[in-house]
Amino acid sequence: MRKILLGTTAVVGAALLAPTMAAAQEAPTVRVGGYFRAYYGYTQQTGQNVTGLTPQGTVVQPAQVGDAGIGATGTSTAQSARNSQHDFSTDAEIHVFVNGKTANGLTYGAVVEIQFDNNEATARTARRSYPSKTGADIDEAYAFIASPTFGQIRFGDEDGPVGGLMNAGYVTNFGTGGIYGDWQDFVIRPNRTTTSPGEMGDNTKIIYLSPQFFGFDFGGSFALNEGEGADTGCVSSLAGPFCDRAYASQGVTSFGRATTNLPGRRNEYQLMARWRGNLAGVGLAASFGYMGASAVRDITVTGTQFQTLRNPQIWEAGLQATAYGFTLGANYKWGNTSYFYIPTIRGEQDMSQIFLGGSYTAGPFSIGANGFFQTVAGTAGSAFNTTTGVLSQNTNSTPRGQRRYGYGIGANYRLAPGLDLVAEYVRHVIHENGVDLDGQANNGVQDKLRANVFLVGTRLAF
Amino acid sequence: MKPILLTLGLLLPVLAACGGDNQRMVQNDEYGDYRRGAVRQRPLGTSAGIVIFGVDKEREAREAAATGGGAGLSVNAYLWRATLDTLSFMPLASADPFGGTIITDWYAPPGAQGERFRAQAYVMGRQLRSDGVRVQVFRQTQDRTGQWVDSPVSAATNSEMEDKVLARARELRSQSASR
Repeated sequence: MRKILLGTTAVVGAALLAPTMAAAQEAPTVRVGGYFRAYYGYTQQTGQNVTGLTPQGTVVQPAQVGDAGIGATGTSTAQSARNSQHDFSTDAEIHVFVNGKTANGLTYGAVVEIQFDNNEATARTARRSYPSKTGADIDEAYAFIASPTFGQIRFGDEDGPVGGLMNAGYVTNFGTGGIYGDWQDFVIRPNRTTTSPGEMGDNTKIIYLSPQFFGFDFGGSFALNEGEGADTGCVSSLAGPFCDRAYASQGVTSFGRATTNLPGRRNEYQLMARWRGNLAGVGLAASFGYMGASAVRDITVTGTQFQTLRNPQIWEAGLQATAYGFTLGANYKWGNTSYFYIPTIRGEQDMSQIFLGGSYTAGPFSIGANGFFQTVAGTAGSAFNTTTGVLSQNTNSTPRGQRRYGYGIGANYRLAPGLDLVAEYVRHVIHENGVDLDGQANNGVQDKLRANVFLVGTRLAF
Repeated sequence: MKPILLTLGLLLPVLAACGGDNQRMVQNDEYGDYRRGAVRQRPLGTSAGIVIFGVDKEREAREAAATGGGAGLSVNAYLWRATLDTLSFMPLASADPFGGTIITDWYAPPGAQGERFRAQAYVMGRQLRSDGVRVQVFRQTQDRTGQWVDSPVSAATNSEMEDKVLARARELRSQSASR
């Protein structure tokens, strides 16, 4: 695969760098853009109140750090908590765009997007040893070089052609994006993770995007590992299961990819074909794509490796139509992963997801609704013995599929270019019969997690 | 799967170069229709954000249009300037850049007594095309009583003047392109 990639890149690179046409050279410009948003959110959800237990199962809550600066290490003493429905939420991103043009007509540049919401689960103020909740980190960061004849190459942390760049059918041009909008910022886990295109991740990759001819354009990408950014990703900088380059990682079977730092996919490639055109005044777009990868292997304490996870394979087809201010779209995604593209064990149920959306725009006003319905493997109960290397599949007496579904209805009114007032309602449900989903042992079986969010606020894009 | 990938990887860029007239470059803002709503409705791609380093060409163009500069002409700028240049040996009576008309006053060449000329030129449209300019030359001669009377102009004169305008326009175009 690597040889193929290197060969392909060399050919494309040579094609791009060949002088194509005489054009005036342009000195690079640097632009700064981004957005700011602030919402009020009213949230109703299950599992937000805990009594006399350690929240989220085995996660150890850090001890309270007072002004005296006493920073005792975390303990797992029982805790109780209640959460209200009301919250304000702000967020911002700063984007830097560099654009230039060479004398032979190639355009080039770089995009760096800085976000401030990476530390979702941390202390509310930055003090002493705790990272700030609003700490800055890099979202997308990539460089590109483009030729009118041969297309574009992007290299860096960026969505792939299937993972957000070229998908059709996802109608999100209203409110904050409906079911793929900002409602998740108000909801306490685990009832929030969706399987949107962008959740495939910004792992560092090389992307080729073709020019459009006869309405068609194509994209392909390749990523060696799932990590992004600089450095190795290893915890404490020592070799371990979290390193970007890990191809065998103890515990990967049980946890899948519990965090995006725990590697799951290697040698990931994405292929996407898209057609856009106009038939009798109706703007049409269709896309068809595939993401394939190999899965990280599990490994015993004595170092014996086992391939326990299936190599992820995801297919996607989407279609959308736009006319007279209306946009309608549908997308169907299927493959052998679980939700959030987490690799599954052989024999488990495949993922299947249908997304539908529609919107209407009249002048400064947009309104729309979208939703999805997904079935995944759920809590199959397989176990990998890290001592013996034995994989016990489906130890649940009655393994069941998990259903995840939700919908959003939203509207926005544009006060000025870039400045919007938004209002949105979203409902999201996770349901798996007879399985306790909230990760809290002593409050009974919560096999249906519900979240309802109503948010209203403003957004300024610049 | 790998041979297919290899083939695709090699063929796509080559195929992409064969599109001819049906091919166009996909702009950066045509990717990522799926995005959270956060940055929607702002100018995308090369016009996103605020320029902090370099020349904001789009702003220059906007301001030029607002002040009625080069971008404010309603006819092709090269043809307009080429016509003015070509007819500059005659005194100008009126020039309307919005209607595209240039009318000269009567002009008597020093070497030809008893003969005078006047020209009207029309620049049509914003495209630089060979049929984008029309020149009409009028000629008068002085009779024995000293009165100016209309006389015919040789049929080729008008088209020769148009050819000169087009040649000058081409010159101006090539000069500005190489800058």
